[in-house]
Amino acid sequence: MNIPIVRRVLEKNDAAAAQNRALFDRLGVRCINLLGGAGCGKTSLLEAALPRLIERLRLVVLEGDLATTLDAERIAALGVPAVQLTTEGGCHLTAAHVQKAIGSLNLDAADLLLIENVGNPICPANFDLGEHVRIAVLSVAEGHDKPSKYPLLFRGARLVILSKCDLMPYVDFDVKRFRRDLERINPRVDVIETSARSGAGIDRLASWLAGTIAHAGTWRTASGSSGSPSLPIEPVVTPLSRTHLMRAGQDVGLAYGLVAPVVRRK
Amino acid sequence: MHELSIAMSLVEMATERARRAGSPRVTRLNLRVGVLRSVEDEAMRMAFEAARGDSSCRDAELCIERIPIRGRCGACGVEYGVQQDRWDCPVCGAEGELLEGGDELELASIEIED
Repeated sequence: MNIPIVRRVLEKNDAAAAQNRALFDRLGVRCINLLGGAGCGKTSLLEAALPRLIERLRLVVLEGDLATTLDAERIAALGVPAVQLTTEGGCHLTAAHVQKAIGSLNLDAADLLLIENVGNPICPANFDLGEHVRIAVLSVAEGHDKPSKYPLLFRGARLVILSKCDLMPYVDFDVKRFRRDLERINPRVDVIETSARSGAGIDRLASWLAGTIAHAGTWRTASGSSGSPSLPIEPVVTPLSRTHLMRAGQDVGLAYGLVAPVVRRK
Repeated sequence: MHELSIAMSLVEMATERARRAGSPRVTRLNLRVGVLRSVEDEAMRMAFEAARGDSSCRDAELCIERIPIRGRCGACGVEYGVQQDRWDCPVCGAEGELLEGGDELELASIEIED
């Protein structure tokens, strides 16, 4: 017997994502999902751009990785509250991962939540996390043909950040072709050419990020929120994380892994 | 390897639907996947193999229908399926715009043993 179903395969993830988005809306938090391949410069771009926003917006960063708390530590060193979520080998974040981490994010005291996804141009593009805005990062070293090769990544993005543009003289990156292919896949997308190393395009990127906040004209200041940026930052791994980590060994595929908040310590 | 997440959802949905229909066994799952989803056939089958365990999908066949990306030529207006590295119009060679679709990812139907 044939039973018609016609249901979206990832409907559970989509439902969790909708819950996340509703929560963000209720709390007045804007959420950005930052995607791109491993080593394309996502964390370095945040390191370059966030200091320009820290006085104007209350920021929180959720770092997704297969393992280690390295990225969250880099963000926390800027004075931005960061939480590391490791997937223990999983190649993408899901909306459920984000739900697990929400308790550690202190969203009541945030204007903008930036989620840096696991470095991977393919899988993460399939999973809505509940973000309001999706940003794709491509480094010039990866090649101009990537929009055609990973169309889903670029199709869903509101902004594409072209990174490591200081390497342009050393690589054969055809900007014209890149822009032509990208426009075909996503005609309304914004593009910002950047170099985290030289600082090129970083002011523009910071303004763009700030512009995603609905009340961008009336920025609340960071003072009075969760501490001043000058306090020393040290990573702290909660005991909860170890339980999750152990469970992850036997529960491949569903494992949430380590949720290790990196918090301010006075 | 998003195929594993997809496979786990598939098994869960099909098992639940078969149970409600009072059937002990799913014989076939008909999956529709848009090319944009980058779902690789071999990886999808391996993931399905791993995800179904001894559920009621344990002997089921997984049929994957691929939905192409479609474009419309900016010059002559013809609509066409985009081939892997040929995004231009196959008729006149002009640049085309991408149409909606190609991102489908749905369980269209299942077949069960009565």
